[in-house]
Amino acid sequence: MWEKLRDDFYQNFIVDDRWKYITDGLQNTLKITFFAVLIGILLGFLVAVIRSTYENTHKLKVLNWICGVYLTIIRGTPVVVQLMIMYFVIFSFHDPGQVFTAVVAFGINSGAYVAEIFRSGISSIEKGQFEAGRSLGFNYAQTMWFIIMPQAFKNVVPTLANEFIVLLKETSVAGYIGLQDLTKGGDIIKSRTYSAFMPLIAVAVIYLVMVMMFSQLVRALERRLQRSEH
Amino acid sequence: MSIDNMDKPLIQVQNLGKKFGDMEVLKDISVDIYKGDVVCVIGPSGSGKSTFLRCLNRLEEPSGGHILFEGADIVDKKTDIDKHRQKMGMVFQQFNLFPHMTILKNLTIAPVKLQGKSEKEAKEQALKLLHKVGLADRADSYPNQLSGGQKQRIAIVRSLCMNPDVMLFDEPTSALDPEMVGEVLTVMRELADEKMTMVVVTHEMGFAREVATRVMFMDGGYFLEEAEPGEFFANPKNDRLKLFLSKVL
Ligand SMILES: Nc1ncnc2c1ncn2[C@@H]1O[C@H](COP(=O)(O)OP(=O)(O)O)[C@@H](O)[C@H]1O
Ligand SMILES: [Mg+2]
Repeated sequence: MWEKLRDDFYQNFIVDDRWKYITDGLQNTLKITFFAVLIGILLGFLVAVIRSTYENTHKLKVLNWICGVYLTIIRGTPVVVQLMIMYFVIFSFHDPGQVFTAVVAFGINSGAYVAEIFRSGISSIEKGQFEAGRSLGFNYAQTMWFIIMPQAFKNVVPTLANEFIVLLKETSVAGYIGLQDLTKGGDIIKSRTYSAFMPLIAVAVIYLVMVMMFSQLVRALERRLQRSEH
Repeated sequence: MSIDNMDKPLIQVQNLGKKFGDMEVLKDISVDIYKGDVVCVIGPSGSGKSTFLRCLNRLEEPSGGHILFEGADIVDKKTDIDKHRQKMGMVFQQFNLFPHMTILKNLTIAPVKLQGKSEKEAKEQALKLLHKVGLADRADSYPNQLSGGQKQRIAIVRSLCMNPDVMLFDEPTSALDPEMVGEVLTVMRELADEKMTMVVVTHEMGFAREVATRVMFMDGGYFLEEAEPGEFFANPKNDRLKLFLSKVL
């Protein structure tokens, strides 16, 4: 039994430095997730501000409409289809690289979900907070920035964290555009060694550990944010 | 300041109207508020008192009329309302302190960001005012650590930190437990003694009687009666005011 496992391990990870498929893949997964999260937050923040501004003041009508279309399309289609369209259709004339394509596709996808999270966070803040800010003489943008956003952000930290965990796992479809991410790395090993157990379990454990570490981090952040309010 | 200026009202409300959809809440309101006036607005619930007050700093968009304040028409969309709001403090029934900031930050953020004061300057002023309302030791607390009465005193100070020319109060004691009403009214009374111009929507008839320079009765979207408090309470003329007073006194 131990003999067999050891041999399996050797075959799957040591021979031909196959472990590199895992570590290189992991690098790509982390790279894509990290930059997609950045784009997602930026885009989501922008869209949320536009949508909330329209709800509150009926300004930015055209931008709001564009945001509505964006949200509908992104939330209404599978991310893997969006990724393939990005690579094989939109970037078909000029290949900017698979990782770049994935960052853009996942970023745009994540932005749509983050936007709704931010927006619900903003609308969960009592109207009195907004009025207090305005009555002191803050303009709309200042009131949003100094008074509404910090409270909204605090409220949505758990949901936001969850969204990023989802994103990390969703990047596992990156193989569809031939990108060697963590999942694809395991898959390649499997096809070389004709054994599925070791590489796939290894991949699963690595995802699991990352998700658990991230959750811990978020819990610590939440505790810190809570302490400042009582 | 010339004599002419001193005689001119600080706020001139002319034919103010406000509709919510088809519902006409304010019909034809005209009133002059002078420097040092303490105007108490009383009336049945739903009569439009809050709406009137909130039109004064355009938290509600008036449907018609004019509100002249320091050389500008508040109703005019072209008026830089943010600038004028800095000179009009507002105190809400629900306090509306910023829960994510310490008390000190609540008090200094507007002077620092809007009036270009240094943190130090703003802090000194805030501490001085906190001291006056007896809450100097709470500067580093968060709003949720305070009682309702303390919160409302802080909310008043927050407005005062902007050095406003007029203070608007919308039922500042209505959300308070009875034992905390007094401490807030005391602060307001002191403000009145210092000749702050105040417009106060209230159900505290005692306060209106003792502190107001004028009391106004609102019902059905109009000011139906206006008098100095002695006359107002002793000799009400309007029938609906008589009925109202018979219920609340
Ligand atoms: N934002 C609003 N939209 C629609 N109706 C409103 C709004 N605010 C107030 N009202 C209505 O206007 C009337 C006057 O309200 P308000 O000024 O709050 O009265 P008061 O302060 O005297 O109790 C009420 O009938 C109230 O329902
Ligand atoms: Mg009211």
